[in-house]
Amino acid sequence: MKMKSLFVGMTALLAGTFSAAALAAYPEKPVTVICPWTAGGGTDVLLRALSKEAEKHLGKTINVVNQTGGAGAIGHNAIRAARPDGYTIGMITFELNSLPPQGLVPFTWKDFDPLMRINSDPAALTVRKDAPYSTVRGFMDHAKANPGEITIGNSAPGSVWHIAAGLAAEKTGVQVKHVPFDGAQPAVTALVGGHIKAVAVSVAEVRGQVQAGNLKILGVMSGERDKIFPDVPTFKEQGVDVEFYTWRGLAVPKGVPAPIKAKISDAYKKAFDSKEFQEFAAKASLNLAYQNAADFTKFLDQNYKDVEAVMKSLGLAKK
Amino acid sequence: MDFNWSLMFASYATVFSPGVLFIICVGITAGIVIGSLPGLTATMGVALLVPLTFGRPPLESLAMLIGIYCGAMYGGSISAILIRTPGTPAAAATILEGYPMARRGEAGRALSMALFASFFGGVCGALIMTFASPIVSGFALEFGPVEYFALAIFGLSVIVSISGRSLVKGMMSAVFGLLISSIGFDPISGFPRFTFGMMEMMEGPPFIPTLIGLFAVSEVFNEVQKTGQLQQLKAKVDRFLPTWEDIKHCFKHLCRSSVIGTFIGSIPGAGGDIAAFVSYGQAKRTSKHPERFGHGQIEGLAASESANNACSGGAMIPLLSLGVPGDAVTAVLLGAFIIQGLQPGPMLYKENIDIVYQIFASMMLAQFAMLFIGMAGIRLFAKVILVDRAILTPTIFVLSMVGAFAMRSNIFDVYTTLAFGILGYVMMRYDYPLSPILLALILGPMAEANLRRAMVISSGDPSILVSRPIAVGLMVLAVVSLLMSIRGQKQVEARLAEMEQAFEKEITD
Repeated sequence: MKMKSLFVGMTALLAGTFSAAALAAYPEKPVTVICPWTAGGGTDVLLRALSKEAEKHLGKTINVVNQTGGAGAIGHNAIRAARPDGYTIGMITFELNSLPPQGLVPFTWKDFDPLMRINSDPAALTVRKDAPYSTVRGFMDHAKANPGEITIGNSAPGSVWHIAAGLAAEKTGVQVKHVPFDGAQPAVTALVGGHIKAVAVSVAEVRGQVQAGNLKILGVMSGERDKIFPDVPTFKEQGVDVEFYTWRGLAVPKGVPAPIKAKISDAYKKAFDSKEFQEFAAKASLNLAYQNAADFTKFLDQNYKDVEAVMKSLGLAKK
Repeated sequence: MDFNWSLMFASYATVFSPGVLFIICVGITAGIVIGSLPGLTATMGVALLVPLTFGRPPLESLAMLIGIYCGAMYGGSISAILIRTPGTPAAAATILEGYPMARRGEAGRALSMALFASFFGGVCGALIMTFASPIVSGFALEFGPVEYFALAIFGLSVIVSISGRSLVKGMMSAVFGLLISSIGFDPISGFPRFTFGMMEMMEGPPFIPTLIGLFAVSEVFNEVQKTGQLQQLKAKVDRFLPTWEDIKHCFKHLCRSSVIGTFIGSIPGAGGDIAAFVSYGQAKRTSKHPERFGHGQIEGLAASESANNACSGGAMIPLLSLGVPGDAVTAVLLGAFIIQGLQPGPMLYKENIDIVYQIFASMMLAQFAMLFIGMAGIRLFAKVILVDRAILTPTIFVLSMVGAFAMRSNIFDVYTTLAFGILGYVMMRYDYPLSPILLALILGPMAEANLRRAMVISSGDPSILVSRPIAVGLMVLAVVSLLMSIRGQKQVEARLAEMEQAFEKEITD
């Protein structure tokens, strides 16, 4: 451990002396942003839209590279292990806080230098339109009266939506069966086809089917109501005290000199505020939730503790 | 939903404008290039070009993406035929007959049949999509975990057909494939299996690098071994389209495979790779000369290529009418629609019926654009095979490595490719077929995850597996096709042995 901290200190020192001259000139070459999820997915599309705007302010090309695999572990690890010279940035996501409690990765958010939070989407409990219940309470009562009947689909075992559904069931003391799918989309499809009883995924992921009249949202697990569906009450309003979100943000590896970090943050903040990005986010029904580095760090700390506690009580954490 | 003919004609008129036609051609050309390069798949091509469409009008953007989608599906067959490298996973079944044909000096014949079959399949897919979307999409929703499990089992019954000379060796390959497909996260509990603590192994052996290693790299090793004693291949490329006899000969298979392809494409989660293998198996089972399959039989090529291109039209059906993507590419397309402010699904039919018909029209025109651009390119593509093997072989090797790396910029994938290359080489030397491994890798996880999901839903009661008519139908089909193929396989083995004896006798005489 001592050797490791010594090594970290030395690299930081080296990076400091090396970059002194380079600081003013940053960026001198294209910048890479690592996306831990596949090209074309929600995280990827968001990152590409944001980086396209940030390029204008940074003055150099920003290349989005997808380093996928291991349920996000590989991409996060690549961000963490990148050279701390400001030429590698990364998008970190909720999984950074759910992988460590499962014992799947040897690092936590503390090994990163968070820059800003971009969005945070609450889970929503969604059922078929023709279901005999239309409130969260009604759903839970039905589940209690018919043990073993309720199946809730989620996007992957141990995923954010699995934890959200588990938390909601635990708070209301009902027994449900969690059915993990290979992503949120297949779970929603299975619900539309009537193969499962409910899904607990984000509003954006069910929006199309809800608007088409196939599904209905019983409640959202957030502090306030959703902008697109303001008629849907929150869980808390219905007497179930659950809030659960997924989130995405930007981070750099530890040791990037402060002036360079400031330049990156500045470019991305301007991109975030741009009209183009705001329009994009509205179309994609993303719940934008900006936080600066200090607030994001506090958020990460609290979120990590919450997630770990929930996963432990659900039996999803490594014993 | 009534079919609106006047809107159909109006949409064709809109799409038939120089601007849109140009953009479709650009998409097709880009798609063919992307598809023919190993490691760059249709999914990736579409995903990477989606950001380019931000801020462009919907029709132009979607027409270009559809062009890439269709072009890449065909493009994959070019490298499959010429250098035994499936450009996309959907072209893996094309190798089985396409490559032996090219080795025999019939690269031109194979390429032109692949193009024609792709065109034929694409047109059938587009037609079914235009006229039968509402019917087909209702069927697609019936597919739940039990049906997917049954579909996977049906798909696995094709293994007998791609076993080559020996059923036992084919089974050994398939079981090996199923074993390695169990590496990685458990699909229900999320427990990492056989990963040895490596993050790269958590999602199992990466599919594209495995594919490139098994087929392309193993062939590179094979070529290296034969260096110096290898004759330069001759390729007669004197035509753009297959001969009338070839088309007539394959017509039955083209029609049948196109329907199978569209149907499998329309089931969410089952894509071109499965469609191609199932059609290939079907072609072989119904052929009078199953023993010739695997040695460059043109019907096999026609079946797999028409199926994987028909699949594109099929996959668009649930996307447009239900808002549910039919395969990996349409999942990315769904994102592109939303960025354009269009939400695919029943609402799209109500609010933007014009764009729906324009997509039908673009899909159809993309097939014709693909036919013409493909015809213009065939001579150029076929030149590849005339390149001196001493230059071509190392180039394929480098391309394979780059392709494996490009997928997710991970050096681990390059090692995987090399490892499977060596494995593939050894297996070829001892006459073990490689395709069953691939089929097992595609269908194994599908069978496992859906069986487990079904068990979660039924609380462990296995009777759920026989409770649904579609699933029962598929499983009966699986048994029938298994029995038929095993009987066929015995014939194949007997005839091959006969032919060998005759050959040996000839030599001794």
